[in-house]
Amino acid sequence: MEINLFQAILLGLCACLSSMPGLGGTTFGNYTLGRPLVAGLVVGLILGDIQTGVIVGASIQILYIALVTPGGTVSADVRAISYIGIPLSICAIKGMGLDASTKSAQDMAAALGAAVGTLGTVLFYGTATVNLVWQHVGWKAVKEGRFKQLYLVNMGLPWISHFICSFLPTVIITMAGSSMVDLMKSYLPMDGIAMKTLFTVGSLLPAVGVAILLKQVIGKATDFLTFFFGFTLAACMGVNLIGAAAIGGFFAVINYKIQMLKVRPAAASYDDDDEEDI
Amino acid sequence: MKKVSKKALNKSFLSWFYGNLTCFSQEHMQTFGYLCAMLPVVEELYDTKEEQKDAMQTYTAFFNTEPQIGTLVVGMTAGLEEAKANGEAIDGETINGIRAGLMGPLAGIGDSLIVGTLIPILLGIALGLSGNGSPLGAIFYIIVWNLLMFFGMKFAYFKGYEMGGKAVELLVGEQAQALRESIIMIGTMVIGAVAASWINIETSFEIPGIIELQSTFDSIYPKLLSGVTVIFCWWLMTKKKISPTVVMGILVVIAFVGVLLGFFDPNLSY
Repeated sequence: MEINLFQAILLGLCACLSSMPGLGGTTFGNYTLGRPLVAGLVVGLILGDIQTGVIVGASIQILYIALVTPGGTVSADVRAISYIGIPLSICAIKGMGLDASTKSAQDMAAALGAAVGTLGTVLFYGTATVNLVWQHVGWKAVKEGRFKQLYLVNMGLPWISHFICSFLPTVIITMAGSSMVDLMKSYLPMDGIAMKTLFTVGSLLPAVGVAILLKQVIGKATDFLTFFFGFTLAACMGVNLIGAAAIGGFFAVINYKIQMLKVRPAAASYDDDDEEDI
Repeated sequence: MKKVSKKALNKSFLSWFYGNLTCFSQEHMQTFGYLCAMLPVVEELYDTKEEQKDAMQTYTAFFNTEPQIGTLVVGMTAGLEEAKANGEAIDGETINGIRAGLMGPLAGIGDSLIVGTLIPILLGIALGLSGNGSPLGAIFYIIVWNLLMFFGMKFAYFKGYEMGGKAVELLVGEQAQALRESIIMIGTMVIGAVAASWINIETSFEIPGIIELQSTFDSIYPKLLSGVTVIFCWWLMTKKKISPTVVMGILVVIAFVGVLLGFFDPNLSY
C-alpha cells in the first residue's frame, strides 16, 4: 500500500494540529485529534479505509488511554503515535496481508505505535526548543508595549516550529514507510523469533498504559480493591464499560456521602447537587 | 467603577481556550498563553500605555498547570485585575502569589481528574463503541469531550471571575477533596474494566495430555495473566521508580525470552 504526497500532506497537517504543544489547542488538538482512537478515524478517512483505521487506532489507544504529561515531560509523543504510527501500522497490516480484525494485527499495531511514539519524543523537544525563538520575540514586544504582537507570537509563529518538527517528519516518514514494509516482509519472516517477539510485545504493552494510569489514581494498597472490583466486573461477569461506569458512579455517591458525614455531619444531606461539578 | 465588558471577557476566555499551550517551551510553558488571555482585560481596564505595560508585567511570570482546569485561575486573575484597577488593596505581587500558589494543586487535580479519570472513562466507552472498526466511538468522543470541556472551561472562567480570590477556598476545601476522591473511585473502577476488556495476554504453554496452562489459569481467575502483568508494571514504576520507557524495554526482554521458551506464541503466518 502506498501513501501519496497529497495524503502525506494531510497527515502532516494533522500532526501540526494534534501534538502537545499543538496548534489545534489543548482540548481540540492534543486531547481530541491527538488521541489514537480519533486519529484512527481521521487517518482512515485520509487513506480511504475507515474500518482498518479505527481498529488500528483503538488497539494503540489502549496503550495511551491516559497519557499524562506532568510538568511538560513526555514519555511518548502523540503526533508521532497518531499520524506516523497509525499510517505505518495500516501499511504494515495491508502489506503483510493480515486481517485487521485479528488479535495479531492489533498487537503489531500496538508495538509499532509504541516504538514510533517513544522515538517521537524528539519531535516534542524540538518544537519546544524552536518556540524559544518566538518567545524571545515576544519578550521584546511586551517590553516595548507592542501588545498585539503577542497573538502573532503565541498563535502564528509556532506554525514555523511545527513545519520543521511536525509537518516535514510526518510527510517524509509516512511516504518512505510504505516501502519499508516490503523490506520487512522479505527479511523478517512471520514465524521467526523477531516477529513473534514483536507481536508478543504488542500484547504486553497495553499493561504499561494501564499501569501509568494506576500510578496516578492509586494512593494506598486498598485502592487496588477498587481496581479489581472493576476488573472482576468485566473479566468474570462480562459487564461492559458503560455498565462499569454506572456501577462505579453508584459507589462514588455512597463514598461521597460518607466522606461528607465525616466533614460536616449536619450539612451533608444538602450537598447532593454538587455531584455534577467537574 | 471600572468593569470589564462581557465581550472582553469572552475574548480572553477564547484566547486561553485555544492558545494556552500553542507557544510552549520548556522555559515558559503557558506564560504566553496567559499573556494573550489577559491582554483584552488589561487593555480595557487601563487607558495609558504605561499602565497597561505595568499590568502586563505581572503576567510575564512563569505559569504552568493543567490548562483546562487552570482556566479557573485565568478567570480569577481577570476578576482580581478588575479589583486592582478599581483601587482595591491588590497589587501585581498579590496576584502572582495566588497564581503561583494554585499552579501546583490545580495541576494535581487536573491530571488526576481530567486526564486520569474523565478521559479514560470517555475513551473507554468510545472503545466499546468502536468494535469491528465502527467510527461511532471516535465520533462519540469528539462530540462529548469537546462539548464538556468547552462549556466546563467557560463555566470555570466566569466562576473564577465572579469569585476572584474567594475561589481558592472552593478548590482546596474538604468538600472538594471528598468529591475528588469519589470521582477518582469511578475512574479506578473503569480502569479495571478497561484492563480486563482490552488487555489480552495469553500463554501457549502446554505439555500435551498433561497440562494446558491457559485453561488452568482461566479456571482460577479469568484474565489472570493480564491482571498480573498490570500489577507488575505498576510495581516497577511506583516501587522501583523505573520510567515507562524502561518498563517497555523490560517487557521486550520478557517477550523475547517467553517466545524462546514457548511460553508465548502469537501463531502467525503470512
